[in-house]
Amino acid sequence: MTTPSAPCLALLITLVGIVLLGQGAYIHAKAWVAQLLLERAFARTITTGQPTKPWSWADTWPVARIEVKRLHVSSIALAGSSGQALAFGPGHVELTPEAGERGVAVYSAHRDTHFRFLQDVVIGDEIDVTRSDGKRFRYRVDSASVVRFDASGIDPLRDGYELVLSTCWPFGALTPGPERYVVHAMLMGPGS
Amino acid sequence: MITGDEIETDSHSILSRIVTILLFLLAQLVATLLIGSVALAVRFEPVWSAEAQPVAFIKPSDARAGSLLLKNDDGYADATRLGIDVDITVSGPTIRARVTQLFRNPTQQWVEATYVYPLPDGGAVDTLKMVVGDRVIVGDIKERQQARVIYEEAKQNGQKAALTEQERPNIFTNSVANIGPGETVLVQIEYQEPVHQSGNEFSLRVPLVVAPRYNPAPVVQTADLRTDGSGWGVTRSDPVPDRDRISPQVADPAENAPVNPTSITVRLQAGFPLGDVKSHYHEVQIESPNETTRVIRLANGPVAADRDFELTWKAAAEQAPSVGLFREHVGSADYLLAFVTPPSVAQAEQKQFAREVIFVIDNSGSMGGTSIVQAKASLVYALGRLRPADRFNVIRFDDTMDVLFPSSVPADARHLDTALSFVNGLQARGGTEMVPAMRAALTDNADADAEHIRQVVFLTDGAIGNEQQLFDTIAAMRGRSRVFMVGIGSAPNTFLMTRAAELGRGAFTHIGSVDQVEERMRGLFAKLESPEVTGLTATFSDAAADITPAALPDLYRDEPLVLAAKLDKLAGSIEVKGRIGDRPWVVTLPLANAAQGKGISKLWARRKVSDAEVARTMRQMSPEEADKAILALALEHRLVSRLTSLVAVDKTPSRPAGEPMKPSELPLNLPAGWDFEKVFGERGHLPAEPTERRADAGGAKTQLALLKRPAVVPAPSTLTLPKTATDAEAKMIAGSILLALGLILLAVNRRQRLAR
Repeated sequence: MTTPSAPCLALLITLVGIVLLGQGAYIHAKAWVAQLLLERAFARTITTGQPTKPWSWADTWPVARIEVKRLHVSSIALAGSSGQALAFGPGHVELTPEAGERGVAVYSAHRDTHFRFLQDVVIGDEIDVTRSDGKRFRYRVDSASVVRFDASGIDPLRDGYELVLSTCWPFGALTPGPERYVVHAMLMGPGS
Repeated sequence: MITGDEIETDSHSILSRIVTILLFLLAQLVATLLIGSVALAVRFEPVWSAEAQPVAFIKPSDARAGSLLLKNDDGYADATRLGIDVDITVSGPTIRARVTQLFRNPTQQWVEATYVYPLPDGGAVDTLKMVVGDRVIVGDIKERQQARVIYEEAKQNGQKAALTEQERPNIFTNSVANIGPGETVLVQIEYQEPVHQSGNEFSLRVPLVVAPRYNPAPVVQTADLRTDGSGWGVTRSDPVPDRDRISPQVADPAENAPVNPTSITVRLQAGFPLGDVKSHYHEVQIESPNETTRVIRLANGPVAADRDFELTWKAAAEQAPSVGLFREHVGSADYLLAFVTPPSVAQAEQKQFAREVIFVIDNSGSMGGTSIVQAKASLVYALGRLRPADRFNVIRFDDTMDVLFPSSVPADARHLDTALSFVNGLQARGGTEMVPAMRAALTDNADADAEHIRQVVFLTDGAIGNEQQLFDTIAAMRGRSRVFMVGIGSAPNTFLMTRAAELGRGAFTHIGSVDQVEERMRGLFAKLESPEVTGLTATFSDAAADITPAALPDLYRDEPLVLAAKLDKLAGSIEVKGRIGDRPWVVTLPLANAAQGKGISKLWARRKVSDAEVARTMRQMSPEEADKAILALALEHRLVSRLTSLVAVDKTPSRPAGEPMKPSELPLNLPAGWDFEKVFGERGHLPAEPTERRADAGGAKTQLALLKRPAVVPAPSTLTLPKTATDAEAKMIAGSILLALGLILLAVNRRQRLAR
């Protein structure tokens, strides 16, 4: 005789599986949907010149578009690098200058969503950053490195016009860690 | 349970059922996705990671200076800078010090700067000046709350303002509001202090850094039930209610250049031909304009404020003056300051008294580095000085405690060996739960041994915030024990040492370097082994006098009696009487010969304030009475105290309305010789909570030992990268595996039923 507990257990495992799968998918869905809304808001920002919130209750707004043409990727970056902002898009790290200004502009995003493409970026790649005022700057990647989060060696106020994109390292790992993958690029001059 | 229905189901319908289930699941997945997208609107909790943002620096005082807690704030790369100049004039018995703090704001924002700094615990702070451009604004003495209100109003109105508040008798805070972009504001405070004398040696001490304090966690409330039997009372929940105010940030010396450059000048006019003049912890240049005057400067320019400055001087003559009498006329009263050193009388050989000595050694994390070496060397020396007739015990404590022997043991070779190996094995770690250790040391269970003199020798840096609890313990439990404090390290808490020694009727010795261990410990043992001067009284023949200290303390070898008095007229003489060992001793000083001195009224008032605080601790005065007395004294003599502050406000507003202002708390150095990781744990991480071992011998109160939150400062110019991993992948993989497993189980289950 089969006890009723066996099918119940199987059903329970299935349900937990579904919930977990759903939660994981939800993170990706959120990242993806948010980008659509952000794209729209950013387009409006450029035309109106006013910071536009992507949805009425958002606590952040789009500040730049980051593109790598060779990889056909584009992502709208948000102000601030709090966890909330990073769920929707790359964050422009506080207290670093804007792209195109003197210093090191730093953008961070999750390794498994918006900055997953960083693993395919190679030295010599061109990164375009369009600011909310419509100006576009083209950077060329000159190095990539793995550092600890608290020993990045990045002085945001250093001389020179530089860009850093950072994400967690290693790609594909399942647990958070202290290491960050840092892609460094130098300004080439205003893009076309 | 199997129904006939299911038995009849054929394989075809099983397949269709599995397909149905799969479809259902798929639909669910899609629904989850859809709902998830919609939930974008609703859900704002961080779902990106299980671990919190790595903490770059945490400050206990975030309530007061919140914006500095922003995780990527610009650190100290371009935060407010501070320069300190200490200018000291010693005229005979008194020290007048002028401390100038220069606050420079290199940022583009308006800033409010806060700086926590130490002063000598006997110092009377009476002047605050703020220099803005070429204007000098002199501060007024106000009640603490009122001063705070005046300061806050000025801050709101955009006026420059400075506020000096006392946190402890030896810790003060200066706040300066509305320092404009690129501006520099000078804040100057002045204090008065008596010269310290010990035997032939005179000294002054300028503390330059507040050492990080261990503040016991408020775990258990203590109830104060009213004594009137009404049954109502209040609970005190925090042993250090003002922990935020005495825990400034500390710059990690491994990651930051030393901050707060300090220059020191001392003009020494001793009033007698000078012999040896020595600075113990700083290299100095000494000029000698004449035989009674010296000018002392730092030899190599400004130094980092990370250790105390100590200067000692001796008379050229073999014998230092043993009596000093100084007077000052202020208002309608005369003030008198008297130094009298009793002659040292050798103990008669046959009367050598037996002693019971309890050694207590602090091996907490703050003692890490050179301090623990000094403490161990001192204790080893002390053990070597014990005589066979003596009894002793050793207690060590951090946030835990060990008492070496169940009760005091004779100082024979076997016990001394045990004690030496115990001491040599000590390591500095953990918090500083000083109260249980003091309680254990004062627990005197040998009434039969009453012919032994009981002495507690307590070696510590005093880096705790709950001083008052320790004082209460000593006041309540001292019995016949005498407490001798040995201050260890480059910046010990002298207030704790002197007050604890005063309440414990003992003495305070300071050891600031390993070289000093033998000399200072020899001095301490001379005190322990020599008869004390007891039963001291001072009487004025003609004048009505208000004498402080109210109860003259017992004196140990080489210690002078220092007393201050307020007199209605300067006439007649003062007679000091007492007993040295068992011999009577008396000395009479004619007041007419007193020399003119400066600031003696302030010293008298400052000493009276201390008396009131002590009386409060000893429960000789109710808290209300004591506070009233302190307030009256402090306001009359313009002194900063627990209840009064100095505040200076520039009349002209300087910050335009609407410009924001940013609070900026100036970081301190770690005292020299301290080990950052021992105090704050591993860099960049919260220290692990110590295991909950109990340090309480009496069992009266539990205090969970929780290390003070660290104040780790990031390296100035490196960026902390945000956390950028989600658990999406992990969840999806785990979800898929579980889903597959569940489905397989379902299918297997189904097949089993069919097979039946």
